[in-house]
Amino acid sequence: MASTKPATPGDLLTQVAGERQTGALVVSGQPGGAVYVFEGRVIYAESPAAPGVGELLTSSGRLAGRTWQSALDLGTSTARVGRLLVEQGHLTQGELELCVLGSTYDAAYFVLAQPAATIEFLPGATHWLGAVVHIDASAIVREVHRRVKLLDDIFPNPRIDIAPVIPVTRAPRERITLTAPQWELLAHADGQRTPADLALLLGRAGYATIQELRRLAALSMIELPRVRAAESPEFVRLPHPRGAAVPIDHSVAEITGASPVPVISGLDQAASRSAPPRPEPAHARAAPPNADPPPVPPPGDHNAGLNRPRLARRKPGAKLPKEIAATESPPVHQGTDEVLLKRIRTALRALR
Amino acid sequence: MPGVDHCLQEAMTIPGAVGASIVDYTTGFPVATTGAAPNEDHEAAATGTADVVQAANSRSLFVSTIPHDLLEDLIITTAGGYHLLRIVHTEFDSRLVLYVWLDRVRGNLAVARRKMQRLADELITT
Repeated sequence: MASTKPATPGDLLTQVAGERQTGALVVSGQPGGAVYVFEGRVIYAESPAAPGVGELLTSSGRLAGRTWQSALDLGTSTARVGRLLVEQGHLTQGELELCVLGSTYDAAYFVLAQPAATIEFLPGATHWLGAVVHIDASAIVREVHRRVKLLDDIFPNPRIDIAPVIPVTRAPRERITLTAPQWELLAHADGQRTPADLALLLGRAGYATIQELRRLAALSMIELPRVRAAESPEFVRLPHPRGAAVPIDHSVAEITGASPVPVISGLDQAASRSAPPRPEPAHARAAPPNADPPPVPPPGDHNAGLNRPRLARRKPGAKLPKEIAATESPPVHQGTDEVLLKRIRTALRALR
Repeated sequence: MPGVDHCLQEAMTIPGAVGASIVDYTTGFPVATTGAAPNEDHEAAATGTADVVQAANSRSLFVSTIPHDLLEDLIITTAGGYHLLRIVHTEFDSRLVLYVWLDRVRGNLAVARRKMQRLADELITT
């Protein structure tokens, strides 16, 4: 284990390359990643924010997922996945080299551009892809600096690179011209996907995605992320529940306030038939009159106990009525699930 | 097995070729280079190449009027040379261009263009 003294990942990479070492430079943080060095030259880099070779090749349809998986199964242990794909005739050497070069520079930007992170060097570690290309570490470090500057020339706001992408509701001008990649990003930005999510979803390079997003920000086509959102990584944007014009508890509160008729147990069904604003679904009224009246809370705790309209009795396994089902799903859990899924995904990726 | 280096070596056999490179035109970065570059600076040449391709691609009266009518190549002639840019259309996401600099006296534009077309195709098809 090498020292973690040097200030930036770039410094340590230069040092490791100068000593002609072989291993992996692992950088943790946001977004973090790893740079693989073989005898002082960079052979690959990966980061959660940049689609890797496999994602690029499969999401574009260049390789079938099965082809990629079988190459992984065969070649991972001997670190020759790349060579296998070429030998089996799935890719040309040129394609493989260009793809690896592209994704290496792409990931290197995310690994090396962040100054504050914990860095460690794992000597001897190699990547399962194998050494397809050999790049001078100095060229990578220089290129990363150049890319940072390029972004700041477009629009100097690095928070755009990590915050969820929110397109503006209304375009700032009458006519706007978008490039095809920009349109793709706006069409797929749903207010929750981060630039990394979008890059992975669209199979586009992470840096190219950020570049287009900065351009969109310069055009005022996406909202600028607020500082607070960027500072608290645990902050989760809750989705606005769609299809529910009026929150359900609100309508109940309205009825209890508006109804001058005291609700008496047993008379409830009659009341529900006569009072039109009652939010009960239509078929509740069609319930057979001789059925047991549903337990009705006493009028006193009407507000406390009743936080959703009561439903007619359903058969086991029957679906909820449409209007209830639409508003049923609690939005809180949706957000939590998103976070959980992301954690699982990161964990799985680390295992690979 | 034609890899990137092999492709550039082949490009240098084009009559009159002075230098060649493969450039990522979103970032203006030379992915691979060989031979000479204008002003002895491959990186500056790559940045310039990227600007030219971006201009042709985005401020486009030339491309994208018809669906799938994609940019193929750009040819810039100067008093002393020819600069040929050929877009490399890979199936996976990349934005690459093959650049060859030719000497005006020894180079033949038509031959060079055909050769570059073949090289760009060979690079990405089995």
